[in-house]
Amino acid sequence: MEKELDKVVEEIMSTPNVAGCLVADHQGLCLASKGTAHVDSAGLIVAISEQACKIEPNLKPPTVCLETDNKQCLIQRHGTITGAVFKQKGVA
Amino acid sequence: MVDDLRKFLNHLLEKVNGLHCILITDRDGVPVVRSVTEKAPQLALRPNFISTFGMATEQASKLGLGRNKTIISMYSSYQVIQMNKLPLVITFIGSDNCNTGHILSLESQIEPFLKDLGTIVADAP
Repeated sequence: MEKELDKVVEEIMSTPNVAGCLVADHQGLCLASKGTAHVDSAGLIVAISEQACKIEPNLKPPTVCLETDNKQCLIQRHGTITGAVFKQKGVA
Repeated sequence: MVDDLRKFLNHLLEKVNGLHCILITDRDGVPVVRSVTEKAPQLALRPNFISTFGMATEQASKLGLGRNKTIISMYSSYQVIQMNKLPLVITFIGSDNCNTGHILSLESQIEPFLKDLGTIVADAP
């Protein structure tokens, strides 16, 4: 049942600099996770996306980028599904 | 200690949208710490509701999947998440569209307090 989703996750993981990938549903439950993305972080990722949507409620959901010194986490919601990609920052 | 924990649980209640209450009880549903908003359904706060988890988790642990950790019950207007931390039980009650994953992530924040609380409900020697 999850074959198609796994294919997409594998494709994302094969992208350069991607360390982890997570897909969650509207209730913060993890649908798929791979690499450094932790299953338990699904709820928090969806919560962050929900809060970000409240900044401009009339616009479509924003892409949230969380950055540290050498990693970043990109979160985007599409309909009821929220995806997160964990990346190593590329060498400049 | 319990007052500090109650304040902390009240703070958690504000952090999660749609979360109505957090209860820490023994397996019979007797409350140890309660943090409740006015939206929490009163019937679900009673020991005869919360104590059903004790039997449910025992039976669920016999399914061949190992020890049951959490039971999530979805109702039309509410969701109830109960965690097996025997001798303690943590019960979260939220709205039906509350972020279930966010509630589950609260476990790691509450866990450090449970060791001391567990001594309160431990059987007398």
